[in-house]
Amino acid sequence: MLSRLVLRAAPAALRALPPPVAVGVLHTTRTLHTTQQSLAPVPPLPEKGGEVRHGLIPEEFFQFLYPKTGVTGPYMLGTGLLLYLLSKEIYVVNHETAAAACILTVIVYAIKKFGPDVAAFADKLNEEKMATALAMKNEAVQSLQTAIEDEKKEQWRAEGRSYLFDAKRNNVAMLLEANYRERLLMVYNEVKKRLDYQVAMQTLKRQKEQDHMIQWVERNVVQSITPQQQKESIAKCILDLKALSKSAHAAV
Amino acid sequence: MAGRRAALKAVDWAAFAERVPPNQRAMFNALKTRNDALTARLAALPEKPPAIDWAFYKANVAKAGMVDEFQKKFSALKVPEPVDTQTAKIDAQEKETAKSTAEYIQASKARIAQYEQELQKLKSMIPFEQMTYEDLSEAFPETKLNKEKYPYWPHKSIADL
Repeated sequence: MLSRLVLRAAPAALRALPPPVAVGVLHTTRTLHTTQQSLAPVPPLPEKGGEVRHGLIPEEFFQFLYPKTGVTGPYMLGTGLLLYLLSKEIYVVNHETAAAACILTVIVYAIKKFGPDVAAFADKLNEEKMATALAMKNEAVQSLQTAIEDEKKEQWRAEGRSYLFDAKRNNVAMLLEANYRERLLMVYNEVKKRLDYQVAMQTLKRQKEQDHMIQWVERNVVQSITPQQQKESIAKCILDLKALSKSAHAAV
Repeated sequence: MAGRRAALKAVDWAAFAERVPPNQRAMFNALKTRNDALTARLAALPEKPPAIDWAFYKANVAKAGMVDEFQKKFSALKVPEPVDTQTAKIDAQEKETAKSTAEYIQASKARIAQYEQELQKLKSMIPFEQMTYEDLSEAFPETKLNKEKYPYWPHKSIADL
């Protein structure tokens, strides 16, 4: 009886439910293919899938039945359905049921125990891939920016070429000027050297003449002192000395 | 004696040094040392040689007429100014470098435009988390798998794996 009620209620309920409410009830807020144009780029996939109760039944089903049957509705439906299937032997319990029960238990236990770890591992793999891709992209962006800056710097450098040519021209001008001055100086020095030479020659000649004359005069004077004169001068000196000594004795 | 020398243009060596790229440092240093040597040499030379004291020599040199002759010849002597052969060459060089610099700057600007374009493309890319493999091949054409040349997985030569 309950089953007939459910079987009759379902289509009416489905027809009565307006679409926005169903969409709003969804835990995701994607609106795909609502217009002719497709969305590009495709918006990011949601982090989690739709909510599910007991791993099998989507939450929407419970929300769907809540207005009419309250919180226990879907459970009653489920229990009733199960009992109906069993009692009417629509589902026959045989050896495979036992096998299924054991296998399912083990599987559920394994997933509950190791599920999160495996999920984390898979996520880590993906993260690494993303990280390498992102690093490559950042590196490319960085290198492009530095390349642009370098180019600008090179342009700025090239603008400084006028300094180089100014310096070169300065060098040339300085060289010419230095050369010219050196020439002037050389002329002056040469002329002065010659004139000084003349003056020096003259002074030297005069000096030599003077010396020679003095020597000649001296020599002649010495020669002219005859022996007679020498004796006379010596005698005179002796007399003078005697006189001096007398006066000295007298003074003492 | 005026007008023989073009006035020396003041060169801002500090600003010049800034603009020298590192691979041309040696040449710049050589130029600077040359310039400094020339400046020192020029500074050491007096602008005019001292005047010769003709009166003294006239009084003291006995040879007649020698001093007068010297004086006459000395004042009549014109020291030739050194001929400037290089400035024209330098000017020609400057014009040429102006041209080549303009070309270089053109090419540089083109390169900058290219880089800017690529930068723009990279910056406006969708984040990797939202990409599919198709989007990746669009953004980075080098990652596109060549299904015609290598029809079997992995669609690229084994060496590239």
